[in-house]
Order: sequence, then C-alpha cells, then structure tokens
Amino acid sequence: MLDAYLALKAGAFDLDIEVRAGPGITVLFGPSGSGKSMTLRAIAGIERPARGRVVIGDVVVFDASAGIDLPPHRRRLGYAGQRPALLPHLSAAKNITFGLTRVPAAERLGVAARWLERFDLAGFEQRRPASLSGGQAQRVALARALAPGHRVLLLDEPFAALDETLRQSLRELLARLVREEGLAILFVTHDLREAHLLAHELVVLDRGRVLQAGPRDEVFRKPASRRVAELLGGVNLLRGVVVERDAGRLKVDIEGWRACCDSWAGDPAPGEPVDLVIRPERVVLRRGEPQELNVLPAVVVREFDYGTSRTLFFAPEGPGPALSVEVASRPYEVLGIATRKRWLLELPPGDLHAMPPAEGPRQ
Amino acid sequence: MSEVLEPLRISLLIATAGTLLCVAVGTPAAWVIARSQARLATVLAAVSLLPLVLPPTAVGYYLLWLFGRESAIGRFLIDSLGIQLVFTWPGAAIAAAVVSVPLFIRTAAAGFEQVDEELLVAARTLVAPWRVFFFVVVPLAWPSLVAACLIAFARCLGEFGATVVVAASIPGKTRTLPAAIYDANLAGDDRLAHQLALAALAVGFVLVLTLTVALQAAVRRSARS
Repeated sequence: MLDAYLALKAGAFDLDIEVRAGPGITVLFGPSGSGKSMTLRAIAGIERPARGRVVIGDVVVFDASAGIDLPPHRRRLGYAGQRPALLPHLSAAKNITFGLTRVPAAERLGVAARWLERFDLAGFEQRRPASLSGGQAQRVALARALAPGHRVLLLDEPFAALDETLRQSLRELLARLVREEGLAILFVTHDLREAHLLAHELVVLDRGRVLQAGPRDEVFRKPASRRVAELLGGVNLLRGVVVERDAGRLKVDIEGWRACCDSWAGDPAPGEPVDLVIRPERVVLRRGEPQELNVLPAVVVREFDYGTSRTLFFAPEGPGPALSVEVASRPYEVLGIATRKRWLLELPPGDLHAMPPAEGPRQ
Repeated sequence: MSEVLEPLRISLLIATAGTLLCVAVGTPAAWVIARSQARLATVLAAVSLLPLVLPPTAVGYYLLWLFGRESAIGRFLIDSLGIQLVFTWPGAAIAAAVVSVPLFIRTAAAGFEQVDEELLVAARTLVAPWRVFFFVVVPLAWPSLVAACLIAFARCLGEFGATVVVAASIPGKTRTLPAAIYDANLAGDDRLAHQLALAALAVGFVLVLTLTVALQAAVRRSARS
C-alpha cells in the first residue's frame, strides 16, 4: 500500500532509505535522530526529498525524476503526531470533519458522530479540545486523520505524551482498526516495548539508513548486525570465532567455550570472527551435569528485581562468556534461585544467532 | 467646520486605503518571514524594516521619483495606464502604507510565529494550503492581525513626511489632518490648529483603546493555549 524511496540532506543529516508498508502495522524503530520523523514527514509531503519516489495505493505521489510532487492533502494519507494538534478554535466534531471538504456540509456532522462513537467518544461533538483529556484528544486526532477515508496512516510517536494505561487502550484501538479496515499504518517509535507490542513488520533505522527490515520476530531473533542487536535492546552480545560450518549449523568458539548455533546472518567461514547474540529470556536454566550441547556452567553474581521479572547476571565457572538471563518472578521462586546460585545455562542453538562482526574494539 | 472635517475625511480615507495596502502586501511578507527557513526570508525581513529607519521625507522623495516620469515604472503608470499618483490621495495612501508596513509586518509575523508548527503539519495533510491559511492560521493569529491593522492604521493616520512630499497639501484633495495642522500653525491660525489637533486626539484615543482591547485578547488567548 505504501512504497517509498527517499533521499534527502538536512544540514549534516543524511537520509537515504527505502520503506514498504502493507496492511498491518509497520513500526519504524530507531534511536532519537535516526531519521524516523523525517521519513514520515517526507512521505507526507511536508519535507521535500532531493531524490526518491513515493507510491501510496497505486498512485505515485512523489517522483523526483518525473517531477511529481503532490501536496500533502492530496497524498491520500492520514497523519498524527506526538501531540494531538487539534484545532483549538473548533469543536471535536469540526476537527474530525476538517479534512472533509468534499463531503456536503449537511452530512459532516453524521460522519463526525460515527467516528466519535467508534472511538468511545459519543456525545463529545460540541466539546472544545481544551476540555478533552490527553487520551480523548489523541483519539479525536486519530479520527480526524482517518475520517477522509484514507487507508494509509502515518503515526509519529502518537502515544508519547500519554500514560501507560491510555497507551495500552489506544494500541488496542489501533489493532482493531487494522483488523476491521485493513489499514496500513506506519508507526514511528523509539520505545522498544511499544515496537514489540505493535509491530507486524519492523524497520530498524539508524543515522538515516535502514539497517534491517522484516517480520517483527525475525528481526528481533535474527538481527542482521551487531548494531541492530544493540538497538533492539541487545544484551548478551558476544564475540566468537567460527570453528566449523555445516549445512545448517555453525560451531563457534566463544572465549574458549564451544557452542553451536543454527541461525546466522551473512556468510561466516571457519577461522573468521563473528558477533553472537542471544536474548536474555531465551537462555534456559538447568540443573545436572554439563554433558549436553551448548551448556555453560555459571554462577549468579548480580540480580535485579523488576517486579514481574528478574534479570540475573552470570559469570562462567570455566572459560566462556558472561551472560544475563531474564526469568519471570514465579519460575524464579519455584526454581529457588534466591538460594541456589550455581546453574547450567543452556543456549538453544536455534536462539543463538551469529552476525558479521562489527568494526571497533572488542567489548 | 469643514476646515476640520475635510482633512479628517481625507486622513481617514488615506489611512483606510493605506491599511488595506499593508494587509495585501504585508500579510504574505509576514508569513514568509515568520515561517520560511530560506535565506530570502532573512533578506526580506531586513528590507521590510528599511522604511522604519529612513526619514519619512526620504521615503516620500524616493516615491516621488518612482511615480514620476524619470523612472520606468512612473512612465509606464502615466503613459500606458494614465495613472497619475503624484499630488493625489492614492499616492499619499501608498506613501503612508510604505511607512507603516514595517510595523504591520513585525506585528503580524509575531502572531504567525506563535502558531503551533505541529498544528500546521496536521492541517496541511488534510486540506489545501489556502484553507490552512484562512481556517487555521488566521483564526489562531487574529489578535495579532487585528493589532497589526490598528497599528498600521494609526501610523497611516499620523503620517506627514512621506505623504506631504508625494501628495503635497492640496485643500480638499490631499490635505490630511497632520498637514492641515502644520499649515494652520504656519498661517498662525491657532484656533483651527487647536481644533484639528483635538480631532486627531479623539481619533487617536479610540484607536488606542481598541488596540489595547485587542492586545489583551491576544494575551489571554496565548495564556490559555
């Protein structure tokens, strides 16, 4: 539904990216200043890229080489930013129908009422934005973006200013809209949890470039590079050397400890260095003897209690890497981790992922 | 009485026309100055202040040259269009507008600068630019625009130097209130000068009162949002 290639320079910042979004929620994730908002603004037509092409539905709305540059209001997309940005001098109903210039005036109120009803705001027609709560205002802003009937929605951290309960109910609202209307939503966020909660597809951005794009779980489990793994909250980033490579399995040496890994990006060859990552919730705690594959004897040296889960920091008893492991609070109690500190850490080969090594000093 | 009313009528006419010219030229200029990042906007901002630093008589002198046969524009106006601006009230209105437009632009630009950028972005994705301007920018910046109009009107009303150079002080045609006061004073007619000054004072008082109310509305509005 949305297919964009954009290249533009703004001062020292250099954006050069390709983004696609089909029905569902595509999350544009990256740290502050990575170009997420700039990308949305360029797609919306607020910023003008030097080169590029933007197709929405089957309409080319921007093509630098063909001289096509439709103004924002003719690009057939909805847009909502961090703040609701409602027009303060208009009622909620008039805000929602603000973009409906082609709908006869007599029908507009009905349209507004239908959207308000859908967003649990029935009866709010005449309310002024100043009298709405943050969550109500943001829902009106979403209704305003959708009322013209657009199928593509650009959302720039729309929940950033709201508290967690409101965020959650708005996320559910978005999910419902996607299901019912088949909308394509391009959603910008720098909040990893939000990215994980919402994304069907995930695009990881850094310094104006797309580092990786794909289905959410694939990107989370199989980052294409160490930088992606870092951005996606990568703890357990390890350095290793390839020892052997079979059809579907890599044998690696990680600080003197041998492990197998079944998942990798790039083309690692024996003798070459690799970066490896395993998510802290994928590491398994075991008792018994270290005879199995990918098992590392280790001791808990530090732990943090987050309420619903604990993060445990393990130091290896022999050669091998230090690892952090996330355990839900209940298993923590059942396993008796509070008193028992020595464990065998199992790193399932399918969850240990190897990537091309990053330049720079070893960590 | 017509000795007072006639100059008052001409002053109000010139001030009204001058203000309309300020609105027509100053509003787009203020918008560009307030919103555009382009270097041209900076240049425009500087140029728009020029009439403020020039003596009004110098502005009048330049306009006299511009409207006369010595300049290409003047020749075009006179010979092709048959428009004679020197020694006419439209000429005086243009002179008054040129002197007043920096104040209009400054005030309007300050109002435009306060309009929330995110609001404009959201509006631009919904409706055509002219609708954004008239249905978003103007309603949000109206106290500043009203203040800009009143300041420009007041400045036009009091304008003497530039208008008198361009249009002189022809009784019943281009003799404004300030020009009439000047002439009455020169002629030693204290009673008339006094009456004229009183008329100027009365009009001025009404203007200042309206301006104050408009500015208070602007302050209240920005305090609310």
